[in-house]
Amino acid sequence: MSLLEVQDLSVVYEPSDAPVTHAVRDVSFTLERGEFVGLVGESGSGKSTLGFALTRLSKPPARISSGRILFDGADVAALEDEELRAQRRGGFAMVLQSGMNALNPVRTVGHHFDDVFAAHGHVPRERRAARARELVEKVELAPTVLGRYPGELSGGMRQRVSIALALALEPQLMVFDEPTTALDVLVQHAVMGTIRELQASEGFTALLISHDLGVVLESTSRVMVMHEGVVVEDAPSRDVLRDPQDDYTKMLLSHYGDPRAEVVELPGLAARGGELVTSSGTAAERSARGSGGSPGAGRRATAPVVVEGVSKVYPPPRRGAAPVTALDDVSMRLEPGQSLALVGASGSGKSTLAQLITGVVRPTAGTVSVGDVRVDRLRRRGLRELRRDVQMVFQDPYAALNPLHTVEYTLTRPVVNYTGRSRREARARVLELLDTVGLTPVEQFAAKLPHQLSGGQRQRVVIARALASDPQIIVADEPVSMLDVSLRAGVLALLEDLRAQHGVSMLYITHDLLSARVVTDHILVLHDGRVVERGETSQVLRFPQDPYTVELLDAVPQPSRAEGAA
Amino acid sequence: MTTPTTLPDPGGSESEHPAGAPDAAPPDLPTAAPPRWRVVTRGAGTVWANRKARLGLLVLAFFVLVAVLAPVIAPYGPTANDFARGAGPSAAHPFGTTAAGEDVLSQVVFGARISLLVGFVAGALSTLVAVLVGLSWGYVRGPLAEVVNFVTNLFLVIPGLPLMIVIAAYLQNSGLDMIIFVVVLTGWAWGARVLRSQTQSLRGRDFVTAAQFSGERSWRVVFREILPNMTSIIASSFFGAATAAIIAESGLSFLGLGDTTQVSWGTMLFWAQNSNALLTGQWVLLLAPGLCIALLATSLSLVNFGVDGLSNPRLREGSGR
Repeated sequence: MSLLEVQDLSVVYEPSDAPVTHAVRDVSFTLERGEFVGLVGESGSGKSTLGFALTRLSKPPARISSGRILFDGADVAALEDEELRAQRRGGFAMVLQSGMNALNPVRTVGHHFDDVFAAHGHVPRERRAARARELVEKVELAPTVLGRYPGELSGGMRQRVSIALALALEPQLMVFDEPTTALDVLVQHAVMGTIRELQASEGFTALLISHDLGVVLESTSRVMVMHEGVVVEDAPSRDVLRDPQDDYTKMLLSHYGDPRAEVVELPGLAARGGELVTSSGTAAERSARGSGGSPGAGRRATAPVVVEGVSKVYPPPRRGAAPVTALDDVSMRLEPGQSLALVGASGSGKSTLAQLITGVVRPTAGTVSVGDVRVDRLRRRGLRELRRDVQMVFQDPYAALNPLHTVEYTLTRPVVNYTGRSRREARARVLELLDTVGLTPVEQFAAKLPHQLSGGQRQRVVIARALASDPQIIVADEPVSMLDVSLRAGVLALLEDLRAQHGVSMLYITHDLLSARVVTDHILVLHDGRVVERGETSQVLRFPQDPYTVELLDAVPQPSRAEGAA
Repeated sequence: MTTPTTLPDPGGSESEHPAGAPDAAPPDLPTAAPPRWRVVTRGAGTVWANRKARLGLLVLAFFVLVAVLAPVIAPYGPTANDFARGAGPSAAHPFGTTAAGEDVLSQVVFGARISLLVGFVAGALSTLVAVLVGLSWGYVRGPLAEVVNFVTNLFLVIPGLPLMIVIAAYLQNSGLDMIIFVVVLTGWAWGARVLRSQTQSLRGRDFVTAAQFSGERSWRVVFREILPNMTSIIASSFFGAATAAIIAESGLSFLGLGDTTQVSWGTMLFWAQNSNALLTGQWVLLLAPGLCIALLATSLSLVNFGVDGLSNPRLREGSGR
């Protein structure tokens, strides 16, 4: 008998003040004992809703409208609350995306284990301390964490603790809902490794829910792909990789690649960097080549960004702690028309460097200049002038637009502020900008509010706003990391286009080496505030010298690696 | 007006666009009304949908109606004093008469005007002060913020009623404007602090940074980008301030610090106390205005329950959490 059997399951959201949404439609599948299955889908595909329904964690307004979930032969929906609580042990457990925030900050990690053991009484009192030690060792933590408070642990450690807590219940089925999405790339890689090993050694059945097909294919033996509430593909991982059946799966797969490959190609983005070493010529030449026949409306970039010997030290977070050094003696140069990638894991100082260049923060030591302007010495008026030339594309398109302003208002402001156009001329320029970023019909998009736009469309508006002042330099801080895989290529292609057409220089900040490979010529790898490697993107990524660069490259999810694993 | 950034809908608002089609336009929402009005009507709908708030609105509407239609509803003038003195309830005087020979019902009806007037005017003014102080204080950094911090804390720690009494006694101009002035002076600090902390949290949002990158000047960032996102907090701060103002007005009048010739619920209590109404068995004289003050203040607090639901969808009733 299968461990879990889902029959024609449908889940609807029925909020009182909005139309009904069918999140999951007629989904049927089974999980065999000991299987490791992935559930992949983009935002809004219903994958988390399904996960919550399986573990009976659905809350109103979500409701199972039809179908059955049989766990070990028993109908999950029919369980009484107390039965449900009792069967959380030896039944099904769930690890959440925000699992690291699920720990009580005023109790030690050890207390959390005690609570679990006490609630279910499945471990004799005298064995509890030993069992807790055993569990944290399974998730590769030192036993000393048991005496520490959640606030003293890093995000990755807390996520490991919550996995250990779930294991404490000795579940037959573990549902991992985006267990590593909120973590840093390197930590994500390590935690996924732990989950894989645990699954193999403990032999529980696991369902891994993720938006990242690469991560899933690397770990699981079978993959289900969900799209708009329907499971469109359900096949062994190897088959999905070699011979995907559904168009949607094929589309998802096409967005993966190996940044180390000789030629990297993503849909909508031309191959780049195949040529070796010296053939690239100067950046100015390149952008001249790229611009082709259509000269952009903007000025060509003429001012290089020069950063010399910059350090940034933040005051200690707590009394008695050491000051935090975000950047340590970093120098770099961004030539006009060039695109430079700034890569590193979180905490490497890449965002601080961006803030220094845009004048948001001042360096502790060293100089930052754009053309002949010393950015580190600018005062308020000077900063306004600087931002005519240096604009920013934000990471989170959901936070970067004021929810109460229409697209037209958002775009009109910089046009009026920087170009001094009259209202009618400004409107013409706004429509032109919308056309540039591909939001057509422009009149319709101008009137929309942010919540009426998809994530990709919002990011296009953010890019249009950055273009409004005809900047010479665009600083893009992880512009696609919040977007669904299928939307990323479009936004990247747009940025690349703008650089080629308008001749702006671009500083592209990211932890995603694959995207760095396709949109930039040069790369700077930051680690703990220091530059550990720099050079041409294709060179650095194909033949990395620094161990940290190698580590970052290894952390890139690669479906193809699944072949070895599975 | 809602602040959609605060919490996502439980329904998962991301699901509004099909993820598969890159950049597919989500279905057009009806665009019959201009956005601003739609937001207002939707906000009003949310408040109305809350049972407590609906009750509060009905009670409030009742008092507003009474105040507006006072000359029609009241059987006599508020200061007509040619009736039997200190009479009990009767058909001619349902609530009886005062020791000075005035009709109690008519006084209660006319008293609503003063309470509502003071409540709304003083509430609005102190909210205005709170918005101006709170937003600028939350937005700027540096020594000026420290000064404002000191002044605000000063107003917060000084006990309100004694301060009011001292100021009212000092000013000696016992008109309504004086009462409003005193209430505003003592009532803005709390709202300013709440709005300041909200401003500080919004100040770090990307869209505020983005506005700075768009070349917006500070005042425009504060009033066009940040302020609209705090509408529900400002509304709730207004209702809170209005409640406090109504109670403060009654208190000051009861202590005889207001204009004792004006007919308000507070002065009614003052005169009732002066004439020992309880000892003479005329409890209606105390009960009627007292109950009205309590009801009006309660109604405003009830409305605030609904206003809370505007900014925090989880507080909406029937959301199942």
